[in-house]
Amino acid sequence: MFHQNLLSVGLNREGAITRRSLLQLVTGGAAASGSMAFLQAIGLNAAEMKKEGRACIMIFLNGAPSQLELWDPKPGTDNGGPTKSISTQMPGVSFAEYWPKLAQSKDVSLIRTIVGKEAAHERGAYHLRTGRRLTGSSNHPHIGSVAAWKLGDLASDMPNFVSIGNTPHGAGFLGVKYAPFMVGAAGRLPDNIVASVPAPRLDQRMKLLSQQDAELAAVGAKAIANEHQELYQRAKKMMASPRLKSFQTEPEKPEVKEKYGKSAFGQGCLVARRLVESGIPFVEVQRGGWDMHENLWQRMPATAGEVDQGVSALIADLKSRGMLEKTLVICMGEFGRTPKINQRTPEVGRDHWARNFNVLLAGGGIAGGQCIGTTSDDGTEIVDRPVDVDDLFQTYCHCLKIDADEEMITPEGRPLRIVDAGSPVKELLIS
Amino acid sequence: MVRSLPQWGRMTAFGAVLAMLASFAWSAPTPPARPSKKKPPQPKLPELKTPEDKLKFLEAIRASFPTIRSSGGAFTAADLDEMMRKYISKETKTPFTPIVNDETFLRRASIDLTGKTPTPEKIRAFTADKSPKKRAALVDELLASDDYARKWARYWRSVVFHNSAANRNTINPQAFEDWLFTEFKDNRSWDRVVSEMISAQPQRQPNVKAEENGFQQDHGPNNFILACERKPDIIASETARIFMGISVGCAECHDHPFDRWKREQFHEMAAFFANGKYYMTDQDDPSKKSEVKAVFLLGEEPPSTLKPDHLRVAAAAYLVYNSDNYWFARAYVNRMWSELVGDGFYSVDSLGPDKDVVHQLIVNRVSSAFRYAGFDPKWLFRLIMNSEAYQRGIRTIDKPEDLFTSVRPARLRPYEIADNVERLIGELKGARGAVERTFAQNPSTPQSDLEGTVQQALLMMNNGQLQKQLSNSPLKKQLVGIKANDEMVREAFLAVLARTPTPDETKRYADFIKSSKDRNAAIDDLLWVLTNSAEFIVKR
Repeated sequence: MFHQNLLSVGLNREGAITRRSLLQLVTGGAAASGSMAFLQAIGLNAAEMKKEGRACIMIFLNGAPSQLELWDPKPGTDNGGPTKSISTQMPGVSFAEYWPKLAQSKDVSLIRTIVGKEAAHERGAYHLRTGRRLTGSSNHPHIGSVAAWKLGDLASDMPNFVSIGNTPHGAGFLGVKYAPFMVGAAGRLPDNIVASVPAPRLDQRMKLLSQQDAELAAVGAKAIANEHQELYQRAKKMMASPRLKSFQTEPEKPEVKEKYGKSAFGQGCLVARRLVESGIPFVEVQRGGWDMHENLWQRMPATAGEVDQGVSALIADLKSRGMLEKTLVICMGEFGRTPKINQRTPEVGRDHWARNFNVLLAGGGIAGGQCIGTTSDDGTEIVDRPVDVDDLFQTYCHCLKIDADEEMITPEGRPLRIVDAGSPVKELLIS
Repeated sequence: MVRSLPQWGRMTAFGAVLAMLASFAWSAPTPPARPSKKKPPQPKLPELKTPEDKLKFLEAIRASFPTIRSSGGAFTAADLDEMMRKYISKETKTPFTPIVNDETFLRRASIDLTGKTPTPEKIRAFTADKSPKKRAALVDELLASDDYARKWARYWRSVVFHNSAANRNTINPQAFEDWLFTEFKDNRSWDRVVSEMISAQPQRQPNVKAEENGFQQDHGPNNFILACERKPDIIASETARIFMGISVGCAECHDHPFDRWKREQFHEMAAFFANGKYYMTDQDDPSKKSEVKAVFLLGEEPPSTLKPDHLRVAAAAYLVYNSDNYWFARAYVNRMWSELVGDGFYSVDSLGPDKDVVHQLIVNRVSSAFRYAGFDPKWLFRLIMNSEAYQRGIRTIDKPEDLFTSVRPARLRPYEIADNVERLIGELKGARGAVERTFAQNPSTPQSDLEGTVQQALLMMNNGQLQKQLSNSPLKKQLVGIKANDEMVREAFLAVLARTPTPDETKRYADFIKSSKDRNAAIDDLLWVLTNSAEFIVKR
């Protein structure tokens, strides 16, 4: 565990290469420019590489939301608390009252019986984003970085993974090529994106810079110098991208903006749609504030309300644009909350719980209207159909057309499958 | 190294100290003892009403512990080198990188001890100095500077606050940094600094608003506890993480998957920091709680009668002065080694089982020597920085057995980058915050896991204020005034990268300037390239 962590730099910049992948042949150069030409030359085309425009938007609810106040309410029981339930488009399935809009969607499906293994925030967030458990100081890639690697275009003038609200996890041993581009506030252009000098002069500067960084590489800092060049090449390409406007909400009609909600989160969902529309394969949008050990029922309506509005608008908008079929939408937190209500003061809440919690899915080959798994009446046990995190990641890979068995080579030289175990949740899939 | 604790280990050390303390003249005059028939005599403990009382009490404990008493001879940089050569050459045939030249040493040591790169004048003076002991003398000189105390105060400020979720109104990171600054300036020993943080008990002041020092956050040492939101469980996990280098935080909710720490142990440690009784919530039924008594991680049990203030002092004493707790000295040594050499003997704050420590004999030897040196921070800097391990050339190490055959190139901290930019072009005002935010990173993450970002590149390339100030800086004016291009390039390198350019570099830029139509603009380009280079933000 220690070695993995300590030694990631040396090999990881160029070592995160699959056995089967052709990328191995083209990752030597700093910018990997020309990789598409190379791939075309040997008979692959960009469209095949991009898997028909498959994409994923991950809505991450930081702090771990209570499944009893999300999509597995237990009204009328001690554990259910004051939360009322409402009916949904899924036959016989109720949501908590805070989710009226998503309850009306015919496109969403639900897993109520995710079995987690981590009930601490950092560890749970790592597990649900990477599909791996945090052991020692692991350095596994975020699923968004895997998607950037498998679905993205390395020669792209835009990042292949954008995080709105700053994800705590990155590309790990896959390296900076696949790292998330972080956006603090959604809706405007990224900071410092406008060049300070005209293009020809910038080219001259960049050429000198590349020679300067080679000097550092020559004295022993090859990994850091190459990574630095990689980042500058990416930055320069991005500055010139005609697709930058997809970071902005400005061109959208006021009624579209309103549909997503005025909240920062809602506007983040709108930007996520715009980014995916412009060809970016993975976008994460975050909404914190779910760690409700106390004051749960006071805080839930507003917090859930923003997410209900933003996510339902996102799904509807993707559908109306014909994008839902190829865009997987995931909405979840890092674990759930204790079914039994605690006795905290001044107002009660729920504590950490990973034994059964919920993940909501839509699009990308997920059949709408399915509800997988049942929990006991008091919410403490899985009665039917446990789904573990490996199964969940297998499902993502299936929807995104990523071969979950494909091997990455870890920094210490060990082959590691994209997903180690489990199988896709077949009941959820259209085909 | 992991051993189960024999029964004798419980209570003995601290119990003995408490007994000793009872007879100390410092405590209030002892009334005539009247032996009770039932209860054994309780040790007389001093009242702890103020932070000063606590310090005095800690002082008394410190004096009575064997921890500090020196045994054996001094451990020197030469001893360290010998040990390193012996153990490392057993494991690898990879050659050690050569010792770096004076310019590289000067920049490296200046960054490590002050966070700042040396000025051209300093570079000239140091390279001209013919004294064979000038490197050791430089280390001493830097250690004596205010910049040394400031650099390390900032480092610890970022370690303590990086993960903190505390409300901004309830903390004062600047007061914490300023307090640490005086501690490092006075070369206060590490055990005392940490004891004071751990044993602090900031009280909510009635009728005072949070932002108006309602939590006594203006008293610097209170801020570790405040960063932990005064919550016993967070204090316990952060104490273990930062000051012992072990990760017990995840034991909070379940038994640690790969380590020996148990959930109960975690809560027993948290109980030291409660203001009254401490309860652990049942895992299955959160409506059930059981009371947990304070027991330190190695099994030390304080007398059950201790009041909260004494319990916190007890926690500090168990952490710092129990010589069985080798984690305390080792965590500091490992962190500093990691900062200076680029790799630690293990990840600084998430050590799993002890078997994950590489070159364990070396780090344990240095740690015990650090303890016998009275936990003197400057002693450790001198030991490491005067050694060959620190003075070697850089290389990216990719095999565990090659660790410490060279130094790893390391990214500078955000405030160091901001300082160095400001030294070149003047106060950044608005842009300084942007630099610090954009380059922000967890200071406890190993260098080998840190990555740059596209946003950092964009900031250095394009930030309007930065570019404008660079172009109008005194440095720029100075360079424009130097007519000979070779000389001008040399001055630019000394000012920005703190080294003399190679002949290739000199020629490349001199040719570039010569071929440019606009010399002024070409000098702007040169400054842009040097400030945007990887070398500018890296310690080499």
